[in-house]
Amino acid sequence: MLGRRGFLASLAAGAIAPRLSWADAGAPAILGAAREPDGSYALFGIGADGSDRFRVALPARGHAGAAHPTAPEAVAFARSPGTFAVVLNCVTGEVIARLTAPQGRHFYGHGTFIANGDILCTSENDYTTGQGRIGMWSRRENWRRIAEIATHGVGPHEIKSMADDILVAANGGYRSDPARPGEKLDVDRMQPNLSYVSPDGQLLDQVELEPALRQNSIRHISFGRDGLVAFGMQWQGDPADGVPLLGLHRRGQAAILDAMPIHEAIAMQGYVGSVAFDATRKSVAISSPRGGRVQIFDDQGTHLHSILREDVCGIAPADHGFFLSDGLGGLILADSSLRPLAKHDRRAWDHHLVPVPI
Amino acid sequence: MRLIALLFLMPLPAMADVAKALDHHVLPATAQFSSASHALADLAARDCTAETLKPAYQDSFDAWLGLSHLAFGPLETDGRALTVEFWPDPRGLVARTVRGMASDADPIVDDPQEFPEVSIAGRGLMALEQLLYEPEIGDLARADYTCRYIRALTTDMAAIGDAIAEDWQQHAQLMQQAGQPGNNRYLSDKEPTQVLYTALLSSLEFDADQRLGRPMGSFDKPRPKMAEAWRSDRPMRNIALSLAATHELATTLAETEIPATEAAFATAMASAKAMDDPRLIGVEDPQERLKIEILQQQIRAIRSAVEAEIGGDLGLTAGFNSKDGD
Repeated sequence: MLGRRGFLASLAAGAIAPRLSWADAGAPAILGAAREPDGSYALFGIGADGSDRFRVALPARGHAGAAHPTAPEAVAFARSPGTFAVVLNCVTGEVIARLTAPQGRHFYGHGTFIANGDILCTSENDYTTGQGRIGMWSRRENWRRIAEIATHGVGPHEIKSMADDILVAANGGYRSDPARPGEKLDVDRMQPNLSYVSPDGQLLDQVELEPALRQNSIRHISFGRDGLVAFGMQWQGDPADGVPLLGLHRRGQAAILDAMPIHEAIAMQGYVGSVAFDATRKSVAISSPRGGRVQIFDDQGTHLHSILREDVCGIAPADHGFFLSDGLGGLILADSSLRPLAKHDRRAWDHHLVPVPI
Repeated sequence: MRLIALLFLMPLPAMADVAKALDHHVLPATAQFSSASHALADLAARDCTAETLKPAYQDSFDAWLGLSHLAFGPLETDGRALTVEFWPDPRGLVARTVRGMASDADPIVDDPQEFPEVSIAGRGLMALEQLLYEPEIGDLARADYTCRYIRALTTDMAAIGDAIAEDWQQHAQLMQQAGQPGNNRYLSDKEPTQVLYTALLSSLEFDADQRLGRPMGSFDKPRPKMAEAWRSDRPMRNIALSLAATHELATTLAETEIPATEAAFATAMASAKAMDDPRLIGVEDPQERLKIEILQQQIRAIRSAVEAEIGGDLGLTAGFNSKDGD
């Protein structure tokens, strides 16, 4: 049995660190960033019933978050092209670490964990060359930056780790620069791709679209069954073109693009804000806040139905169907019907809902 | 008695203006489009020559402009809004579809049950514009084909007009019973107002960015043939009618005086009226182009006034995600 002194010493050495879990943070099902009625920003943990489980203040408008697989820790990213991210303890609300992009890099707003949660990967831009990068940060070593690998494309946005810690990167194809926020650079030369990258940086597989769809920026990712990757796109051509905006890909096979009815395709305004499979991973949803709608497909890319919600963007899998959030405070469960879970007037939910690992 | 007492406890203000907007603005517009599209179909059944039909086509388009800004609910079902008016059409799908139908003499026009299977680019007002105003179509088609196509198209459009009007009766109920159990469309009593408010802002944005912005293109590359329904001389008329419709919506939606909004509308509407350029071909002339740019700015100024006066008063915002990228 350890004495008090021995216990404290071993605690400091990390031997018996008190292990907090997501249950200690109120067992949230999803995380979402929002603007509050007073204009401030916060990250919320939300239960499956739609109730608030925790609230942690954010220094500025968030974009997406990454949830640690076991510990109640979330990484909140600034909007792209931002240079900061904060690691939050969702039980105490403390800022555990502030991550600052190294000189010459900026974050793109998404990240993912590998190595059972020991390493955080962040999508980044080397903005002098425009080449996409994945920064790696060690949680054990107080969130020190330990490595950097290529995304094998330009302008990566969402990155996500699949089995064997293979990183899937949505390389959007155009450049950006923190000195020119909101501007898309080199759109006429854009060449997006979906890349599968090993943790040591090797390109394992890559998908490019046909030349006619080169202006379709590949930006968001969700995983289906048996290695299926859904990717959501943003068309940089005319929003009225009505091009496909969802792709489905499995390594070694050709990508499938969605077939939406033309009026729905045009109504999406060439923009997908989020993509997510449901819990069964048999259907996949894409959202367009610009079109005020969500489109649901099966895992073959066949269109099933549309859900109309103004300014809808966040999507996360629910036990049945999807959680949807919008910029008007609505949090909705969409299965066979639409059910409001919570309506926080003037709490504007930001782009993404992130599922919390169970 | 208890029910009445409860009703008095419910928040009423947000409901009151919606009821007014529905009764004085929305429902009359649906009735008008339905009646205009029926008049057009009835006339086509008797005489389908282009010269006879053009005035009725123009009337239907006018009526559509009283309704098209309400691009939610019944207008979204089955893509009705785009079916009635397939525009903008950057890839020229309407011309391609109509020409394809005409040169193949596609017999689908003879089956009213099947006609709705035609691509939406081959239905509605924009396809009809091709049939009435593009002389080439007559050369492509067999002698009576154009006539049969026009009859099928106008009948189809009248049916859509009926469906919109019928659905709006139910949709109006949904809006007035917002936030009640089982109402999947309007989850709180604030949402109907929000939806109308967003329709108002979107319509103003559409006038500035699409109706004017598309033909304006860039200074070096103006694109007058990207203007809405230019073959039938409607680009400027559509903007004037759209402003009139959004003005009516704004005044029914507002709960207080809206002097800045009224002034902004008056300025833009006067500019639109003074402009003697129905097809907006002035986009190619530096001096005329300036006038069009000024109109565009005046329409954007209405939007700002609406946001400040109506949005501010009702506590509404729009576009947290839709105006933000990534």
